[in-house]
Amino acid sequence: MMNRELIGSTLFLLLFVCYGIYAWQIPLMPFEEYESVNSASLPKLYTVLGMVICLLAMIAEIVKAPVNKKREIKTTISWKSIRQTLLLIVLMLLYSGLLEPLGFVLATTVFLLVGFWLMGERRKKILLLASIPVVIIFWIIMTQLLGVYLAPGEFWS
Amino acid sequence: MLDGILTGLSTAFAWQNLMYVIIGCFVGTFIGMLPGLGPMTAIALMIPITYSIGADSGMILMAGVYYGAIFGGSTSSILINAPGVAGTVASSFDGYPMAKQGHAGKALAIAAYASFTGGTIGALMLMVAAPLLAEVSLSFHSADYMMLMFLGLTAIAAFSNKGQFLKAMMMTVFGLMLATIGIDPSSGTERFTFGQADLLDGVSFLLVAMATFALSEALINVIRPEQKNPGELDMGTPKIGSTKLSKAEVKELAPTVGRSSLLGFLIGVLPGAGATIASFMAYACERNLAPKALQERFGQGSMRGLAAPESANNAACTGSFVPLLTLGIPGSGTTAIMLGALIAYGIQPGPTLMQENPAVFWSVIISMYFGNIVLLILNLPLIPYFAKALTLPRAVLTVMILFFSLIGVYLVTFNTFDLFMMVGVAAIALILRLLSFPMAPLLLGFILGDMIERNYRRAVMISDGSISFLWERPLTLAIGVVAILVLLIPLKSFLSNYLRQDAKL
Repeated sequence: MMNRELIGSTLFLLLFVCYGIYAWQIPLMPFEEYESVNSASLPKLYTVLGMVICLLAMIAEIVKAPVNKKREIKTTISWKSIRQTLLLIVLMLLYSGLLEPLGFVLATTVFLLVGFWLMGERRKKILLLASIPVVIIFWIIMTQLLGVYLAPGEFWS
Repeated sequence: MLDGILTGLSTAFAWQNLMYVIIGCFVGTFIGMLPGLGPMTAIALMIPITYSIGADSGMILMAGVYYGAIFGGSTSSILINAPGVAGTVASSFDGYPMAKQGHAGKALAIAAYASFTGGTIGALMLMVAAPLLAEVSLSFHSADYMMLMFLGLTAIAAFSNKGQFLKAMMMTVFGLMLATIGIDPSSGTERFTFGQADLLDGVSFLLVAMATFALSEALINVIRPEQKNPGELDMGTPKIGSTKLSKAEVKELAPTVGRSSLLGFLIGVLPGAGATIASFMAYACERNLAPKALQERFGQGSMRGLAAPESANNAACTGSFVPLLTLGIPGSGTTAIMLGALIAYGIQPGPTLMQENPAVFWSVIISMYFGNIVLLILNLPLIPYFAKALTLPRAVLTVMILFFSLIGVYLVTFNTFDLFMMVGVAAIALILRLLSFPMAPLLLGFILGDMIERNYRRAVMISDGSISFLWERPLTLAIGVVAILVLLIPLKSFLSNYLRQDAKL
């Protein structure tokens, strides 16, 4: 079984290979073609450097693997916390997408309420007090005091 | 120089800047106290606010947040043995036992006085060292700068935690690669934009800083909550006790604080070292210097054992401003964020900063004195109230950090594409954190990437397409040799570890 050091190095190696493929395809300007340093020079250098480091890390891990067997991934992270984190990421994506259509006030209130709920907060008093007043005070400070534009909501305007 | 100091004085003592120092110290202390959140998160959260207040005020605010967060980290180290910042881990060795023995007030007072002295000595030394170094660095060429930045990158990787050297290097290269996204400023060629107009300007520094620190730090606390005994974290009624120190105690601690401040500052100046190494070295140094009888007290509530890391970490924070302000090279992840913010203001930190922007250069240094006084006078009596922050529901705090990070970026760019990208970067950063990859080298590589490329291309152009500039000037060669030596240190320790393990088998 791969330990997490090897997983990390392999992921990076793949990333650097993909980056390298694009680096070799950077379209150069006509005047750049015969220059000793052009737009693609450093990306190519970074690719080679990155791949060498990844390979070194992989070799180092394989060489010391018999001594470090204890370091294999242990499932110390609970499924509940993984689920919670994934749901928070989805919530942030939804907030990013709905901020302009719904408007700052509504989208943020819903984001905070759902976020607190996902994090396990069930007390109604805290749910309401930590969301609605925060959003309203923030909105007043931004729009009325600092004159910053906050999306009013495409659905309502 | 005198004109510069006077300009700095008038800027630093403008009423709004005094307010920013106070706000910065308060916010920094508050965030630094929360376990799991460090100065980098605190500063990252402040960036959107600083965009609207100008470079000098913004830097003053961020510097206040920086040393406030270090001070706040000591409070949670002492009271609940949960350091909010890596630089204050050493403070918990003796601070927490003191608190358990009923001397929490005394421990907090020692931390406050030691931090104040460390910070003030650091600021005094910064005032002397920064202009001297800036003057020397005026003779630097593009090749020297490129080498210096290379040294900064290798140093931060080399000083990363044991066994993380190659991981830190991978992250640095990843950061350098991120910096190449967008239109190449020298030729106008599009690189890695995949036809997306939103990527033509490259990836925003604010987005990367917020995603890799604020967002991913909040998420990692959800996926891997700190394993603490709930009883230990019960801060409902913290017994602070007396905060008074006797004359004899002050006399005993004075040499420790002086030595550790000096050591802390010198370590802080080195790129990559920073507050954590400074505090551990000061702790070890004091333990070795102490008489045999006192040595045994270390780890069981020694006042010296608390004063040493506290003075050293604050002096190191100040010291890390030397390479930032004079060479434009950040000495730590936190100063890397500040460098990014300065560049975003359109200010190029480096040797000319002192002449071109004396207000920024000197006001930051001068405001540090005021910041240290704020921390001492205002924060010490407020500690019991700050400690209540530790009882805030985790659910509320985490979601609030997510909200402030997202809205912070939105308020600067008003582009929801950036929000989607930020969540994506945060998700990648989360996976990397779970695989124990350090984040600071990524940010450093990202910030220095553009500067390295510009200086490298300029140096090659000047030397007619040849790379002989790398060894032609003694200064360039010397910096290059140091960078290579710095790279070889972890390799040597890896090999010796491997040989030792091999011998055991």
